[in-house]
Order: sequence, then structure tokens, then C-alpha cells
Amino acid sequence: MGELLKDPILLAAAVGTTLPFLAMAVILIFTRHNPGVSSRISLVSIATALISSLFLFIRLYGAHGPLQYQTVWFSSGNLHITFGYYLDPLSLLMLAIVAIVATLVQIYSLGYMAGDPGFSRYYAFQSLFAGAMMNMVIAGTMLQLFIFWELVGLASYFLIGFYYEKWSASQAGKKAFVMNRVGDVGFFLGLIVLLLGFGNLGIPELNSAAGTHALSQHLITVSALLIFCGVIGKSAQFPLLTWLPDAMEGPTPVSALLHSATMVAAGVYMFSRIFPFFSASPEAMTVALAIGTVTMLLSSTMAMVTFDLKQVWAYSTVSQLGLMVMALAAGGYFSGVFHLTTHAGFKALLFLCSGIFIHEYHTNDMRVIGKQGGRKLLIPMICMIIGALALAGVYPLSGFYSKEAVLGTLAGLPNKTWLFAGLIGAFLTAYYSFRLIFFILLPKDGVEEHVDPQAHEHKEEHHGSVFWAMAVPVMILAGLTLVLGHVEHPLESFLAGNAEHSAHVLPVGHIVENGHSAGMSHEILLILGVSAGLLGIFLAWFEFGRKGSSRTGFLGSFPSLWRLFDSRWFLDAFFRKALDRFVYGGFTTVFTKNDRRIIDGGIDGICYFTEAVGRLFSFLQSGMLQYNLLIMTLAAGAAILYFLV
Amino acid sequence: MDSLTALAQAAFWITVGFTVAGAAIAVFPRNILYNVLGLALALSGIAGLYLFLGSFFIAMMQLLIYVGAICIAIVFAIMLSRPLHLEAPQRAVPKIAMAFTAGAVFFVALTSLAGRTNWVPAKARGSDWSIEAIGHALLTRYELVFEVISLVLLVAIIGAIVTAGFSRRSSS
Amino acid sequence: MNNLNTYLIISAFLFSLGLIGVLQRRNLIGMLISIELMLNAANLNFMAFNRFLSPDPVVGQIMALFVMGLAAAEAAIGLSIILALFRKMHSINIERAQKLKG
Repeated sequence: MGELLKDPILLAAAVGTTLPFLAMAVILIFTRHNPGVSSRISLVSIATALISSLFLFIRLYGAHGPLQYQTVWFSSGNLHITFGYYLDPLSLLMLAIVAIVATLVQIYSLGYMAGDPGFSRYYAFQSLFAGAMMNMVIAGTMLQLFIFWELVGLASYFLIGFYYEKWSASQAGKKAFVMNRVGDVGFFLGLIVLLLGFGNLGIPELNSAAGTHALSQHLITVSALLIFCGVIGKSAQFPLLTWLPDAMEGPTPVSALLHSATMVAAGVYMFSRIFPFFSASPEAMTVALAIGTVTMLLSSTMAMVTFDLKQVWAYSTVSQLGLMVMALAAGGYFSGVFHLTTHAGFKALLFLCSGIFIHEYHTNDMRVIGKQGGRKLLIPMICMIIGALALAGVYPLSGFYSKEAVLGTLAGLPNKTWLFAGLIGAFLTAYYSFRLIFFILLPKDGVEEHVDPQAHEHKEEHHGSVFWAMAVPVMILAGLTLVLGHVEHPLESFLAGNAEHSAHVLPVGHIVENGHSAGMSHEILLILGVSAGLLGIFLAWFEFGRKGSSRTGFLGSFPSLWRLFDSRWFLDAFFRKALDRFVYGGFTTVFTKNDRRIIDGGIDGICYFTEAVGRLFSFLQSGMLQYNLLIMTLAAGAAILYFLV
Repeated sequence: MDSLTALAQAAFWITVGFTVAGAAIAVFPRNILYNVLGLALALSGIAGLYLFLGSFFIAMMQLLIYVGAICIAIVFAIMLSRPLHLEAPQRAVPKIAMAFTAGAVFFVALTSLAGRTNWVPAKARGSDWSIEAIGHALLTRYELVFEVISLVLLVAIIGAIVTAGFSRRSSS
Repeated sequence: MNNLNTYLIISAFLFSLGLIGVLQRRNLIGMLISIELMLNAANLNFMAFNRFLSPDPVVGQIMALFVMGLAAAEAAIGLSIILALFRKMHSINIERAQKLKG
């Protein structure tokens, strides 16, 4: 405890990550009926977390190597499990991202969730999430990471099912948790395999051991594939991707924080955390690459056919996560992490802007919002356009730089199909995001004034505190989106400090520097990337933005394709059928039968048996005195004969 | 001497015969009065056997107590109860068979036990068979037993009166 | 008559007869009679041992006396129980007394 107080870095890390948990406890136990106090408690805790994470970031900016604090938590024989903090550039970066976005979202929620009866509960769970996510990010061992990974999933469950009176919301929360759990089964199995094979779950030990070939190839591949299952579950990769669109049942700030910027990025973060470990197994990397590609393409197609504002961004998140996984799996450590950072920024921005629209017009449908004059809300509209441009990868926004980095990594692979897939993905991304923009910006039949009896209050609200609580974070995020691209090079060297000073050596052929790709020059790649984005925007304008366009899109002429995309490539139907047949039909039936027949039957059988034996013995009780005497004398006579004679 | 001994032997065996016959009459016939009379005969035979065993006093006591009191009491009880010949269902053969078996087993056990054991008489044997000796012992050495048995008799009488009295109240 | 075994066999025989009577008779008073027979057989045993084995003949006689006294007490009680049972069941057939059956 003494050393905790003496070391400011440790103190900052401990306080910043633990205070949100305390805030949650206080809110849940004491201040539930007082929304104002609850939100203030939560904001204080997250502000403290923000200050400590920025402090850590600045203080350890040029540090020579990662800083690790740990204490032995439990041990058994040779096995020691520790609890601690691992502060290297990646974790500091993630800490900053999480703290900044969480603070902005909590401020935004003051406006968005104002008047909601569950206000205190909301802030309690927001604090839970923030605490868990930050602890996960600076975890020193895989076990600690896993524990907070699960806590983050729990917070997600609570927040998705926040409007629990609504059936679809509680179902969505359940679905998210269960799908996450399914992935985590693989994750945990991977951890066990690692524990058995390697004996240690510490992250720096894992990375260095992988680098110095201290582990067998077989072990690395098996455990990497199993751990990747956790990534599939948490980061909504194929096939466990359908929970993320359903998670839009939660309040929009939740979608902005958890399901775009931070929680779903946890899987990608974990991938990059043990990147040397993963990259030591080419098979696992290839599998991850394939899954990422499939995810990216599939969810882009799903985004093209939906009219729900949040669903578009949800599918877009899945697709961008797929892109990040592709980048990492192709060996691009920096490009994956950079895209994660910029995506956190502009995706949260997009969601928060959508939240303002939804809060204003009480509908998620983009057509209705457009018709009712959504473009008249200037701040969200402009910021949304900025966000969409960043998503499409247009210069000079942050998305442009990160997407170029990713495409550069993909170009470095010997097989050019991955690059081709990435370009198609970029095209589709631009297409669907600007489809949404044009629906709102340029509605088909002009703008109808929405007859709203509360129009006067709305007008006042436009300049009231609720509005500014929502507008300010949005503007801050827009500003970040504009400038983040230009910090690419400092960020790269910051993160590369990770590679130079730590003991492990990354396999050389796997890191592809930006632009130094095999067989393709930097300029061609730039042209290809930019043109894919611009082509998508143009097609979107052609189909939706032009005056007199049909507004159905090219997919309208392929109704079967439309149905395929709309039903999420029948993934939900598949899961439903599998669930019904294997789980309900299989396991549940077996266990029910076991319970009824064997367990209950066994106990009933004991009762019947006891009764039957009793009935048997009751024959001996004839009530006849002489029979008793008879038995007695026969026994006595026999005894005398046996013993004494 | 021989004839005296032979006479004694014959008397002995006649007494034994009376005893056994009385016992048989006491057990087997259905008529209860036959049984009582058989009992009286058997008890008298046993009194005779006591004479052969050297105790005149006990033989007299046997006749006095058993034949004179107990058998008469049983006769009283018989007179107070309904005659059994009004209901006489068939005796169950298995029951009789089992009873005979039990009796036979017990008899065999006891006799073989008696035959196997080596009965050792005590080294110093007294020879005082007089009544004064019994009286003297009863009031000095076996005083406690004497008192206790009088207590037992008292309790038995009270109990008998009470039991008979209770049931009189509860019966119609 | 000068042999212990003779008396022992006689008393065993009487005892067995009494036992048969107890186990077989339906009349309660008949059972009581058989029990008296058994008691007497035991008494005979005591007297026989007294005659042939005991150090002091007084002891055996006192024993026999007490057994007789107790038999008298027991017969009295037994008869009063039979009387009570008769008033209840209106019969002295022991096979009717099966309330404890089962």
C-alpha cells in the first residue's frame, strides 16, 4: 500500500481504473433514486480516469520499454497467477482512447438520456463498463484480461437490455451475451492450452517466448486459433456477427461507446496485444485473414439494404472490424492499431450524430428523418458528413490515412486477392454510408414540415442545455476526426517503440511498412484506394442523391439478392435452427429426461422400494401372540443347540 | 433291602407317571375343566417328587399353594368366563405342527445339554434339611428376599384388584 | 431316582409339554395352565440341583419357595388380566386379540 502511494504512475493507473467500479457500487447502492447525483458521481469518476490516462500517456511518452507492476494473486506449486498493470505504448494508447470516448459519451448521455427513469442505472453501468474496459486494457496477464473481458461483456448485456421492458431489447441483450460467451469458450480453452503447455499467462512472457521459439509450433497454432474464437465472439466476426446489429436496441450513446469504439474493439486490441504470439503461427494468421475478409464483405452487403440509421452504422462497424482483423492478420501491426484508433473516433461521431437525429424525430428510419427535415439540424448533419467522409476514406480526414495504411499492408501480401477484397470493401463502405447521407440530406420529395405540437419546445431545446450536452461531444469528435490523420507518423514511432525496446523480435517479413509493399508502388495503391472510395460516393449520389433518381439502388433490381442481404445471409435463421435442433432438441431434451426419469425416478424408486420392503416386513406383524412366542422359542432352542451342545 | 429299593423305585416311577399324565391332560384336551384337573394332578405328582427329593416342607407348600390356591383360582376364572364349547373352530394344523416342533427342539436341546454337562457336586455338603433351618435362614440371611417377595405379593394383589376394577367400569 | 439326570429329563419333558400348550391352545386360561406347568418344571429343576449338587440344602428350598410365591402372584395377575380382556372382547380366544396386526 505504501508503494502504491509513493509511485505516481502506479497510483494514477490504480485510481483511474478502480474509481469507476467504486462509482458503480455507490450509485447502485445509495443514489439510485437521485439521478443528478448519480450522473455527477459517474462523471467525476470518468473524468478522473481521463486525467489519469492522459497523465500516464504524457508521462510515459518516451519511456524506454514497457512498465510493469504486478503482485502475486494466487499460486499453486510452480504456477503463479499475478494481478497487475502492464503499461506499454499500446495499452497507454488504448487507455487514452477509452477514457476520451467514454467521457464524451457520458457527457452526451446527460442530454440524450435526460428524463429517463433508469438514469442512475444507466450511469452505474456506464461506470462499470469504463472500469472494466480500462482494467482490461492495462492487464498484465491473459487471465486478468479475460476476467475484465467478461466484465465488459456483462456491462454490454446490461446496457443493451437497458430498456428491458421491451421484449426485443432484452432478447438482444441475451443474444449478445450468449454469442460472446460462445466465443469465450474457445478463448478460455486456448488459455488452458497455453497454461498447460507454457505454464505462464503473462503477456510480455508470452510475446517474448513466441519470438524466441521457446514454444512448439503446434502449441502456438492451436492456442492461437482457440484464442481467436474469443475475437470472433467479441469483435463480431463471421459467424458470430449477428448480435451487433441487434445490439442497437440499446440507447444510442451505448452503441457509440461500446458497439463501435471500444468494446468490440477489445477483440482487435487483444489480437494486437499478443501480436507476436499470433504472428508466430502462419496458419492462425491465414485463418484470421480469411475470417476478417468474409466478415468485411458480408456485413458491407447487409448495410446496403437496411433503412435503419443505427443498423447501417452497426453493419459498418462489423465491416470495419473485419478490416482491422484483416490488417493485423496480414502482419500490419501498426495499420491495424491505427485504424482502430481512427475508427473509434469517427464511428462514435457517426453514432452520436445519429443519436441526435433519433432523439429529435423519435424514429430510426432514415427516410422518415430525411422527409421531416433532418438536414435542418446543422451541427449533427455537418458532423455526420465529416464522419461519413472519414469512413469512406476521403482526404484529409483520419479515415483516409488509416485506410491507406491498411490497404498498404494488404498489398504487401503475395496473394493479391486480399487487396482486391479490401478495395471492394472500401467501395461498398463509401456506397452505403453516402446512401444514408443522401437519404437524409436530399430527401426525395422535398421536406415536409413535421407537424409537431411540441415544436416550440424543440426550438427552445435547440439552444438549451440538453442540446449542448449532445452537441459539444459531437463537435469535439469531429475535430479529432479532422486532425487525427496527421499524427500518423508520431503515432507509428510511438508504437514502434514497443518493438524496439522490448525483448522480442518480430519476424521480419511480417511487418509491412506503409507503402513498402512487394510489387506495388505507393502511388498506384493511393490511386486505387482513393478511386474505390470516390466511385462508391459517386454511385451513391447517382442512385440516391440525384434529382429524379429512383432511390432504389442497383440492388432493387435483384430482389433475391436483396432478400439475401436483408436476412443477414440467413445467419440468424441458421442459428435459430441450430439452436432448436441441437440445444433444445438435443441437450435440453437429454437433460430434462435425465432429470425426470433418472434423478426424480431414482428418488421415487427409493421411496417405492422402502415402501415395498416395509410392506414385506409387515407380514411378520401378525398380531398373534403365539407366533411371536413360537419364533422366540425356536430361536432359543436353536441357539442352545448350536452354542452349547 | 432290595425289595425296599425296588418298592421305592416303583413308587417313584408311579409318581412320575401321574405327573406326566397330569401334564398331558393339562395340555391336550379341549375341555378346560379337564385341563384344570390335569394340572392339579400334575402338581400333586410334583409334590410327590419333592418328597423324593428330600424336602417334606416344600412338598406340603406345593400342595398348599399350587393345588389349594392357584388351581381353585383358575376354576373360579373358568366359571366366570363364557364356555368355550360354543365356539370351536378347527385347529390349524400348521400351528399344532409348529408347536410340537418347538417343543421337541427345546426338549432335545435341554436334555442334550444336561447330558453333556459334567455336574460337579459341591465339596462340602450340608445335611440340615429341617424346617427350622429354613426359617432361620429366611429371617437372617435371606431377609431382604423375604421382604421383597411380600412386597411383590402386595403389589400383585393391588394390581389384580385394580385391573379387574377398571375393566368393570369400562365394560357394558 | 438317585440320579440327577433323571430329574432333569423329567423337568425338561414337563417344560416342553407346557411350551406346547402355550403355543398351541386358543383358550387364554389354557395358556395360563400351561405356563404354570412350565414354572413347576423349573422349580423341580431347582430342587433337583439342591438335592444333588448344592452345598447347603436350605438355599434350594428357599428358592423353590419363592418361585412358588411368585407363581401365585403371577397367576393372580394373569387371571385378572384375562378377566379384563374377557370383558373387552367377550371371548377368551386368543386369536381374537389381533389389534396390533400389521
